[in-house]
Amino acid sequence: MSPDVNNRNHHALKFDFIMQNEGPDDYKQLKESITQRRNSAAAQKSEIQELNYRNSPLLKLPTEVLLQIFNHLDRRDLYSLLTVCREFADLIIEILWFRPNMQNDASFNKIKAIMKLPKLSTHWDYRSFIKRLNLSFMTKLVDDDLLSLFVGCPKLERLTLVNCTKLTHYPITEVLKNCEKLQSIDLTGVTHIHDDIIYALADNCPRLQGLYAPGCGNVSERAILKLLTSCPMLKRVKFNGSENITDETISAMYENCKSLVEIDLHNCPKVTDKYLKLIFLNLSQLREFRISNAAGITDKLLERLPNHFFLEKLRIIDITGCNAITDKLVEKLVICAPRLRNVVLSKCMQITDASLRALSQLGRSLHYIHLGHCALITDFGVASLVRSCHRIQYIDLACCSQLTDWTLVELANLPKLRRIGLVKCSLISDSGILELVRRRGEQDCLERVHLSYCTNLTIGPIYLLLKNCPKLTHLSLTGINAFLRREITQYCRDPPPDFNEHQKNSFCVFSGHGVNQLRAHLNQVMEDRAYLIDHGDMHALFHERRRRFMNGGADMDDEEMTLWARQRGLGLLQSVDNDGQGMSDINREIFRELNEGNMGPEEMREHFQRLIRNHHQHRLVERQFTGAEGQGDEVHLENQDPQNAPQIVQPAVFPNGNQAIPIVNVDEDDDIEMQLVSLFPRGPQNS
Amino acid sequence: MVVLTTNDGEKFEVEKQVAERSVLIKNMIEDIGGESEPIPLPNVSSSVLKKVLEWCDHHKADPLPAPTDASDSAEETRRRNIDISEWDGKFIQVDQEMLFEIILAANYLDIKPLLDLGCKTVANMIKGKSPEEIRKLFNIQNDFTPEEEAQIKRENEWAEE
Repeated sequence: MSPDVNNRNHHALKFDFIMQNEGPDDYKQLKESITQRRNSAAAQKSEIQELNYRNSPLLKLPTEVLLQIFNHLDRRDLYSLLTVCREFADLIIEILWFRPNMQNDASFNKIKAIMKLPKLSTHWDYRSFIKRLNLSFMTKLVDDDLLSLFVGCPKLERLTLVNCTKLTHYPITEVLKNCEKLQSIDLTGVTHIHDDIIYALADNCPRLQGLYAPGCGNVSERAILKLLTSCPMLKRVKFNGSENITDETISAMYENCKSLVEIDLHNCPKVTDKYLKLIFLNLSQLREFRISNAAGITDKLLERLPNHFFLEKLRIIDITGCNAITDKLVEKLVICAPRLRNVVLSKCMQITDASLRALSQLGRSLHYIHLGHCALITDFGVASLVRSCHRIQYIDLACCSQLTDWTLVELANLPKLRRIGLVKCSLISDSGILELVRRRGEQDCLERVHLSYCTNLTIGPIYLLLKNCPKLTHLSLTGINAFLRREITQYCRDPPPDFNEHQKNSFCVFSGHGVNQLRAHLNQVMEDRAYLIDHGDMHALFHERRRRFMNGGADMDDEEMTLWARQRGLGLLQSVDNDGQGMSDINREIFRELNEGNMGPEEMREHFQRLIRNHHQHRLVERQFTGAEGQGDEVHLENQDPQNAPQIVQPAVFPNGNQAIPIVNVDEDDDIEMQLVSLFPRGPQNS
Repeated sequence: MVVLTTNDGEKFEVEKQVAERSVLIKNMIEDIGGESEPIPLPNVSSSVLKKVLEWCDHHKADPLPAPTDASDSAEETRRRNIDISEWDGKFIQVDQEMLFEIILAANYLDIKPLLDLGCKTVANMIKGKSPEEIRKLFNIQNDFTPEEEAQIKRENEWAEE
């Protein structure tokens, strides 16, 4: 199954789920209707039925108990029970057809064949049992003819047509006729959304609660106004990408649909805050509100609300690309809606750190925050947000170009973080990624990391990221030179077909299995270097000296240096120094090769193995003469105290107290390469 | 202690905690406002009540099921009850007549976990069996004509997938 199909199904299920939570309980409803039927049938029993009733204790059970038993059975067992006797058949047929299974080819086609039979020739009128119809599992098989087969299902309550792109408006309109019990319809991905459909809903479905019609750009506002006045029970509406929707629609929503909990108006640019103000003021049960690219949404949106917890139910707000809003609106929002879970402010260009400070008051409520293209925000804002909102799982800071490695240090403290978006945060460097990885530790829960166009990044830190994040399923590194070479991109997924040549060449995104392949590849390259690691300490020492020098401190004298080395289990410095030289040459070569990528992976591995073997043979001979041996020398990443979180009050990203891992930014010549060598954790000791 | 009277006139003296596994009895005790009066159970025989009380005694310390249980969705009920504990499994190994009596009594006395145990046991008896096997097991006569049976099977074959 392609990921596409997965998403689609997921969407369909999710919608079902949402509605289920709010509507009357399926099981309870079914129970009521079946019990009623059984009671009314009880009066006219045949002789055998009477006999069965007397002889079988199972048939004597009250209906609700029988249903509880059936509840533990799967569809196959119910199918067996169906033909046991009439009494059971009448109960079970309604359960089976309540939600016909259209999820696989075989059952889809069998149901289709039955639906094609003349109504009076089947044993039951199956259409009369169908309450849930979800055709979004087999969208390729769904066309107008197929949907027409379901015209005349009087009890239909939910119709899900997500991504049924072949459908036109005609059969949808026909199916809706006489569906007076319809509660929800999901037309996401349906392209022919026409006034007819909206009028059919208005005319036939007075109990409608959910309408997802994101592709309604061609629907007239007149039709929508008619719908809103005819369906006062509406709770969830989604109208996207429409220039026809104006303040009049909002006014009608406010006037007629007092129980709205979800309003989604993405890309409805004509909507302003004129009537939305009233919606926020009066519909305090609102849970989700989305709008985007509407210039008429201003700070006045919430101005009439009192200054207290008013929108307590509001969980999701998305005001993408509403450029007129400022920190003032966000500050007010946080006061009125203290339990916001998802906040999307992307492309609200006027947002500053003040908004982030306000949002920090949401504390543990906040799980999802999108601040892409809010280019005014800085590390300070991110720090104050992240320190208060520990439960953030999703954070997007794309194109916030002022952010530095400090932001990564802060993100390291979010225990539940699953997704990081830092596309085009070009100040981010290897040091930041290393610090993120080091602080988050092994077995990290990160799943999706977007680092495209963070152009300073190189392979080493990404290798560690992969190593420590076993759940990673998405890693985007588009447009970063260090990764744009055959050896790495061979695991990257295909670029979208509509990309131009340049875009295709810089595309570098790993997902699913590709992530695992990349990890395995880098692991192998690095494992071959396991011998080298004890020499990493050489570089740690080197950098410690350098760091001190750069920070204005005195260089270590010999005694101090020996002490420093001993603390880290380094043996005689002299001997390490001696053969460390040869190894660092090899390290350099490996990294140069990793960064340039002239050789293929196999070739490279062999080359390095040869170099390393030679070196070790050489070293062994040396040892036999000197007897010097460095033992147990470890500068592991793990050795660092994870609790050593910085108390940052100013962007001193890597305070002096935080030593030993040489992440000081000495941006000269080949230093990055050298630093990395010392950072890879020790492999199996080779003696 | 609480005194319960069955439909065949027998009296059972049980701990209040045990008797209150039954929501019906619990409510009755609350309604009467005391425990002195014997509580009549006209729908339950002594042999069944004995068995039911055995179950209640074993489970007297269990946490009471949440009051929202009644409105649980089908999926939730199914998820909650995957396994039958070892003790329950042995307890419910009784003949069919007793099994259905226990189910009816649990339903009447409103003891949800016991009712559920009974229902699961019956469901397990049905699982994987053909219609004919089910009929035999539960002493049911086929009241379909062969033509009807064939038609119903044909028209609902999709449910087998």
